[in-house]
Amino acid sequence: MMDRPSPSPDLAALLTRLARETGPRLWRSLEEAADAPEARRLLEAEFPDLASVGAIDRRTWIRLMGASLAAAGLAACDTNDPAQSRPLLSQAGSTPGYTPGVGLTLATSLERDGTGCGVLVTAQEGRPIKVEGNPLHPATRGASDPFLQAEVLTLNDPSRSTHPAERGEARSWADMRAVLRQLRTEAVADGGTGLHLVLPPVASPTLERLAAAARELLPRARWHAYAPILDDQRIAGARLAFGRPLDLVYDLAAADTIVCLGGDLFSTEPGHIRYAADFQARRRTPDRPLPMLVAVEAGLSLVGARADERVVVRPREMEAFVRALAATLGIAGEPPGEAHPAAARIAARLRATGGHGLVTVGREQPAVVHALAAAVNERLGAFGQTVRAIEPVLPAVEGIASITSLADAVAAGTATRVLILGGNPVYDAPADLELASLIRRLPASLHVGCVQDETAACCRWHVPRPHAFESFGDLRAFDGTVGFSQPATVRAAPSLGPEEFLSLLCGLGGQARDVLAQTWRDRWADRFEERFDRALEDGVVPGTASDPVAARVLEQAPRSAPQSTGPGALDIAFVPDPATWDGRYANNGWLQELPRPLSKQVWGNAAMIAPETAARFGLRSQDVVEIASGGRVLSAPVWVQPGHAPDTLTLPLGYGRSRAGALGNGVGFDAYRLRTAEAPWLATGDLRPLGRRERLITTQQHHAMHGRDLVRTVAEDPRPAQQPGEPSPSFYPEKAGQGHAWGMAIDLDACIGCNACVVACQAENNVPVVGPDEAARGREMHWLRIDRYHAGDPSAPKTYFQPVPCMHCETAPCEVVCPVNATVHSSEGLNDMVYNRCIGTRTCSNNCPYKVRRFNFHDNRTGPFSAAGSVLNPQVTARPRGVMEKCTYCIQRIAAARIEARIEDRPVADGEVVTACQQACPTRAISFGDIASEDSAVARQRRSARGYALLGDLNTKPRTTYLARIEPQAPAPGGDPAKDGE
Amino acid sequence: MAQIFSRRASTSFRVFLVLVPMGLALSGGLAFVWARSDAFWSVGEPEPQPIPFRHSLHSGDLKIDCRYCHTSVERAAHAGMPSAQTCMSCHGQLLAGESALEPIRSSLALGEPIRWTSVSRLPDHVVFHHAAHVTKGVACETCHGRVDQMPRTVKAQTLSMGWCLDCHRDPAPRLRPRDAVLAFGWVGTAPSMSEDVRRAHAAAAPRLTSCNTCHR
Repeated sequence: MMDRPSPSPDLAALLTRLARETGPRLWRSLEEAADAPEARRLLEAEFPDLASVGAIDRRTWIRLMGASLAAAGLAACDTNDPAQSRPLLSQAGSTPGYTPGVGLTLATSLERDGTGCGVLVTAQEGRPIKVEGNPLHPATRGASDPFLQAEVLTLNDPSRSTHPAERGEARSWADMRAVLRQLRTEAVADGGTGLHLVLPPVASPTLERLAAAARELLPRARWHAYAPILDDQRIAGARLAFGRPLDLVYDLAAADTIVCLGGDLFSTEPGHIRYAADFQARRRTPDRPLPMLVAVEAGLSLVGARADERVVVRPREMEAFVRALAATLGIAGEPPGEAHPAAARIAARLRATGGHGLVTVGREQPAVVHALAAAVNERLGAFGQTVRAIEPVLPAVEGIASITSLADAVAAGTATRVLILGGNPVYDAPADLELASLIRRLPASLHVGCVQDETAACCRWHVPRPHAFESFGDLRAFDGTVGFSQPATVRAAPSLGPEEFLSLLCGLGGQARDVLAQTWRDRWADRFEERFDRALEDGVVPGTASDPVAARVLEQAPRSAPQSTGPGALDIAFVPDPATWDGRYANNGWLQELPRPLSKQVWGNAAMIAPETAARFGLRSQDVVEIASGGRVLSAPVWVQPGHAPDTLTLPLGYGRSRAGALGNGVGFDAYRLRTAEAPWLATGDLRPLGRRERLITTQQHHAMHGRDLVRTVAEDPRPAQQPGEPSPSFYPEKAGQGHAWGMAIDLDACIGCNACVVACQAENNVPVVGPDEAARGREMHWLRIDRYHAGDPSAPKTYFQPVPCMHCETAPCEVVCPVNATVHSSEGLNDMVYNRCIGTRTCSNNCPYKVRRFNFHDNRTGPFSAAGSVLNPQVTARPRGVMEKCTYCIQRIAAARIEARIEDRPVADGEVVTACQQACPTRAISFGDIASEDSAVARQRRSARGYALLGDLNTKPRTTYLARIEPQAPAPGGDPAKDGE
Repeated sequence: MAQIFSRRASTSFRVFLVLVPMGLALSGGLAFVWARSDAFWSVGEPEPQPIPFRHSLHSGDLKIDCRYCHTSVERAAHAGMPSAQTCMSCHGQLLAGESALEPIRSSLALGEPIRWTSVSRLPDHVVFHHAAHVTKGVACETCHGRVDQMPRTVKAQTLSMGWCLDCHRDPAPRLRPRDAVLAFGWVGTAPSMSEDVRRAHAAAAPRLTSCNTCHR
């Protein structure tokens, strides 16, 4: 990309061009909107990077071809030597409930921001290979998100630490036991004077029990709770509003008007999977009008992309906006000087909705916004209907104050021993605390973690911690429900979890399971064993959801907060990254190569900036700028993000790590370097272009399709989006269908672009990771991609997501051009790919109008980015080099259901085959089944008036069809965009 | 200038022209035959095993049910190998001190698996499900041969793709009633298979011969 810099999309020219457009016009990037040659090249070439290989001479070409032919002959040989084949193994003893070759599924919980997400882990021969949501768990309800899906790869991370260490040098467990024993003896002797323990806030009853026991034993020890994705302002807001900390849980299924003030209810807030599901369930409710979703935000988020109305507000103006909103609703408080024009309109809408209205606030908003929103919700009568207050799930500790007190104690010399039992504070604590040098100075510091990360590098001792799939524990979900976690595999190496560590510290000892059992034995006097086993089996403890508490908003509350704005001209907003979160997933190849939902960037982050602000500074995407804030500077490449608030930079956290592991080190820039204790979410600063460029890798232009009308919308009344007509004549031979006819329907009204399906597909189908250089060439291997389109004004565009798997065309253009019959039709209508026939001519890909075929340019099974063999799904072939591959509709799952049904002598029932993407989807946007059966779910979807075929005029008769998005105001994309942002 | 080609050059060239295509055709023919021969597929060749287990004794003389050891054959893709514990349920008493059974005892003692050499190995890139076949009337004997007469277990069929397809194209003649699946030396046709069942089987051929039935 850097060799052929694209001409800068001229914003003025682009605006004139878009103004002239009459029909619906979708664009993927600003370059495409401006019809830049770069975008055209990517659209027109099947393998754009191959053009650069043209410098090869004839003789070299013949030599290479000859060598390839000879090598192909060798590659076809099979030794057929039984000694080299996999042996048949007889186990030593039989394990009840386990059949070799059949995966075992266990219910467990994974932690995010301290709360639990219930999942089911399938382990094949003791190796976890796939994660699904736990249908019984309130946070997931059977669905998942990219992080949950990718957790099995983190479990198999080769960079995980395997042994204790002192100053980076390996130590034996005997040495470490001696160290721990001495630490404990000293601490118990002096009651914990000078002892500081750091534990990220975790809603775990067992950890709370152990921490309480440790407090009793070591009364003078100090405890700190810090995680970078802070809830401080939410806690402070609740104190302002209710006088005490309370958590708010929303019921989106009951809400008619939802106003999201910052945050991303569908991807970053606690309970996001559930909220996305509930929102779509509400949209599907047949006899109620569609709900109205309003997003008030600075950067483009998933909620903003889905919202019916999106109001672009600079972060520093959010408070004024909410004050205006509250004032219109008659809530006492000083109204701001000039009110935002949209505030009154949204307030009127909320007032009309009454108790079915809901205002939600992102955790990055100032406390007063939280308090005002609570007052608005109360004024609407929303409490008890769309929102309920519960006792805080997480201990209400303000993280910044907590970690600052640790830094102060170390600086003052009162802290002599620091035990960091989780998290990575050296990397992610506010930069002005200079925690790294402080901790290095300590005589005794210990870090418990999965990886020898930045914190481990500063601490004297490091103790490996087990992965969540290797340990017992309990976690409360966002609504208070307790979920158990249990190991799905044996520990890769001896390790010590925080529960076991605290248990040892208290002198209680015991195995992880006993530690967990003890917590619940105290609570369940009768029938303990039965209830404990049941909770382990289900993954949730029934009846533990927190009861709503009466919450009254204090009269004077929302008034008391000073408006503060820093000196800088630009707002700088910090956000968790959609792929690495706070940095903990930086070494996960699936997530690094996952196109971020909105920028489609992979392998890195960028400072997001609005098109008009970029134009003012003369910047285009990939230009490097120096960002100065509060005396700190950081250089970062910018990404021009349509729909971003002007004069604002959004910096994704979680990159620029130095000790994440082989894949994550040195990827992107570290936004934590600008984050201070005073302004953890919103800073102000200035930027200065540095005049150089840095490669940013984005897939937004890859696999572009020719044609219009890719994404369709309908007005509220479901009039037919496609006139069913006579089947067009075709030159393709008629194929006699037999038995099932598998098909898929994707509801664009439900898709929120969260990427869960993409990672689920990757995990299920052994889709390889190719690395940044190959991804930059357009060689990423995802079988399912999500195309993101914008329409309309680049400063306030509409956003559409479209998942595109293989269409399994009935008249498939790929099949007729294959010289070796490697892609053929099955009797059930699947477009099969026979890997061992494929010779890699790539003609099929050239002939595919949907651009869903992927070619293995390298042996992706063994490479620097490849997943460990133990995470591969044994039901799916790992494809070798030189072979084409694509979505199979999860043929292994179809086969499993078919075999199951045939063993039981019954037909395959509707809903029995669930594809990986379908299972992961929180909003149930994907349905799959037999389209030949009249009353199957997918057949009903296909008959819907909203149904249409992608590029249907090509007469490929795709088995995958789409349902148009319902868009009440504008009949087609490209209508009048909201002009409220200015 | 001297002649480059001798007098016999033309003759040699003509002989060459005849012999080379003949040689190529012959080697092609031999390769064709060899690739289909039992020897190429190691049919009938025993492999070294950790324990001199005799199917002919256990299955043939003692008439132990196949499923006593291969427990998951009716439920799962893998037929299942008996655990050392299963072996010891008899050999805890019978031949308890026999040195040939040492691998079983040490497996139990150490918790280590016993590594047998697979004789009925399928080629790469193919999946096979035992239960799907057994529950539909494909007998053990059809693929594994007269195991009850094998002192040393050997491969009985080529297990090549062509051999699989012979049956997948027209399964009916090789199917047995469900209760005869485990029998050896069973003769006769399926009396219960009526004409329409036979037709249903024949109609299944397109599905059974779709690539994805065996290759995923």
